[in-house]
Amino acid sequence: MRILVVEDELTLAAQLVEGIQSVGYVVDVAHNGVDGHFMGKTEPYDAIVLDLGLPQMDGITVLKKWRAAGRTLPVLILTARDTWREKVAGIDAGADDYLTKPFHMEELLARLRALIRRAGGHASTELVCGPLTLDTRSSRASVDGTALTLTSHEYRVLAYLMHHPGEIVSRAELTEHIYAQDFDRDSNTVEVFIARLRKKLPPGLIETVRGLGYRLNKAQ
Amino acid sequence: MNIAFLRNSLRMRLLAGTLVWIVISILVAGWGLGQLFHQHVEAQFDVELKNHLDQLTAQLILDEQNQAQVRLLPSDPRLNKPLSGLYWQIDHIAAAGEHPIKAVLRSRSLWDETLAVPADAPADGEIHQHRIEGPQGVTLRVVERTVTIDTHSLRLMVAANESLMTGPIADFKGHLWLALGILGMGLTFAASMQVFVGLAPLRSMQDALGRVRHGDARNMEGTFPNEIMPLVNEFNTMLAQNAEVVERARTQAGNLAHALKTPLSVLANAAHVHEKRDDDLARLVASQVDTVRKQVDYHLSRAQAAASVQVPGMRTAVEPVIRGLVRVMQRVHAERQIEFVLLPDQANLAFRGEEQDLQEMLGNLIDNASKWARSRIEIQVSDESGKLRVRIDDDGKGIAETERDHVLKRGVRADGQVPGTGLGLAITADLARMYGGDLVLAKSSLGGLQASLILPAV
Repeated sequence: MRILVVEDELTLAAQLVEGIQSVGYVVDVAHNGVDGHFMGKTEPYDAIVLDLGLPQMDGITVLKKWRAAGRTLPVLILTARDTWREKVAGIDAGADDYLTKPFHMEELLARLRALIRRAGGHASTELVCGPLTLDTRSSRASVDGTALTLTSHEYRVLAYLMHHPGEIVSRAELTEHIYAQDFDRDSNTVEVFIARLRKKLPPGLIETVRGLGYRLNKAQ
Repeated sequence: MNIAFLRNSLRMRLLAGTLVWIVISILVAGWGLGQLFHQHVEAQFDVELKNHLDQLTAQLILDEQNQAQVRLLPSDPRLNKPLSGLYWQIDHIAAAGEHPIKAVLRSRSLWDETLAVPADAPADGEIHQHRIEGPQGVTLRVVERTVTIDTHSLRLMVAANESLMTGPIADFKGHLWLALGILGMGLTFAASMQVFVGLAPLRSMQDALGRVRHGDARNMEGTFPNEIMPLVNEFNTMLAQNAEVVERARTQAGNLAHALKTPLSVLANAAHVHEKRDDDLARLVASQVDTVRKQVDYHLSRAQAAASVQVPGMRTAVEPVIRGLVRVMQRVHAERQIEFVLLPDQANLAFRGEEQDLQEMLGNLIDNASKWARSRIEIQVSDESGKLRVRIDDDGKGIAETERDHVLKRGVRADGQVPGTGLGLAITADLARMYGGDLVLAKSSLGGLQASLILPAV
């Protein structure tokens, strides 16, 4: 899962990045509205945390532009003004949830998880696929109740597949969702993570669709 | 109509002033015209009598027996008609040693009456006037002169009934007063119209002000006479300045909030990381940050509202605000699939106040209901004897009766489970009271809490 944080206050942005990374997500950060808008428009994020009071282009405008361009990903807005006028404006501009400053990091993470879950059409914080269970709250995966030990990259690959069970996910798509923007990407590494995951998971759970990518088998 | 009313009403002052002048000028004109006419008629009357006297004098001769004779009787037919009111008579004035003879000659109209004129002897060429009682007790106006032919002195008199003169005068005066009365009424009516029309701009100014006060207009609209327009412009400028001050206060408050809260976020997050390591300082910072945030929220909302309560001309339609807030709740609580029901009621009800304040109050209440509701929230807007009432019902677990007063106090939360600042209900109650309204909590028929917000309507 790859998240974009658009926040102009550097310390808060760093705290957000740290907090979101701690639950296994990949985070990109933008410090002004123009950069944030560009990144949100061009990169395939799974959710965006957007501060409304931004330099160069305010959050509401950024959000409206994304929505006008057909970007449907979940957006959590952060407001400092804490007025209902701003909340209504934010939601009407296309936000999915709001959080007023100051907030607890746990609350932000919970909202973010809920948004990603909702966007994937999942009703529970636990994603289940056959014997495999992924608890998005604790960032843990288990098979038949036995916890798996996963590296952060392995977890990200598995979590992305779990959010899209039964769907064919290309290598490029996986790469985009497990690495931050400025990371030196190599799609071959995805193959390495898949191979490692396959060793830890029951056989046949991750299927290779020749020429297209991978699929997490639902029926098992 | 008492004096205070007269003094306090511009219309009454103008009308009273005009009326006094109308009455005085009509009285003076009536009296003056009456007098003039009277004098004129009297002079005419006397001239006519003298003419008759002259005619009589001219025709007077003495016959062979030295008896007075009138050669040609005056032609006026009234002199031949008995008791017609116009008479003449000639007396013989006794010379030394003779008997005076009354009425040696008289007009036929005198019949067998004589004119009892007081004894008088006008010098030659003089004409004297008398008023005497004549036949049938009427007052006669008499002119007489003395004519001496040879040694015979004769007293020639012509008399006429005074009512021949006073009748037309009375008639004239009657008509005069009637005409003046009509004139007076016309003038009074015209004056009232003038006052009415002249003061009409004041009334439309009052209407325009009323619309501002009721919130139907942001400033006084319409064109007014040149004398009033500066007043209207001044007032509009003042309204605009007021609105500007409020807007500035709001923006500044918002900026302050913004400036404070981002550092507070940083502080809270930093403290939170250390709190996990059982750090006393971190705990202290975290709790103090929480207190600061509450204080900021509470006082900012009050400061913002305090500024706008004073401003006239505010009007906020309630339904769009509710719909906006429901959109927020439906999005934020999408998973819980709460059913928001806006119960039908009189549409177009409006709140006399700032939109943002209504949004704050209703936002807090609907947010609170959304947090606690199981599946259904009902919102009803109604007009309750001139006040606006927004009732919000939820089917959550509600608040126990003993707790209700408690949660309306600043910063108290009924339960710590659901996220929130715990100020929502208290802030809402405070704002409502600043607007002269109230927030009442009760048990809902849906099973949860019923919050009734009562506010001034437009």
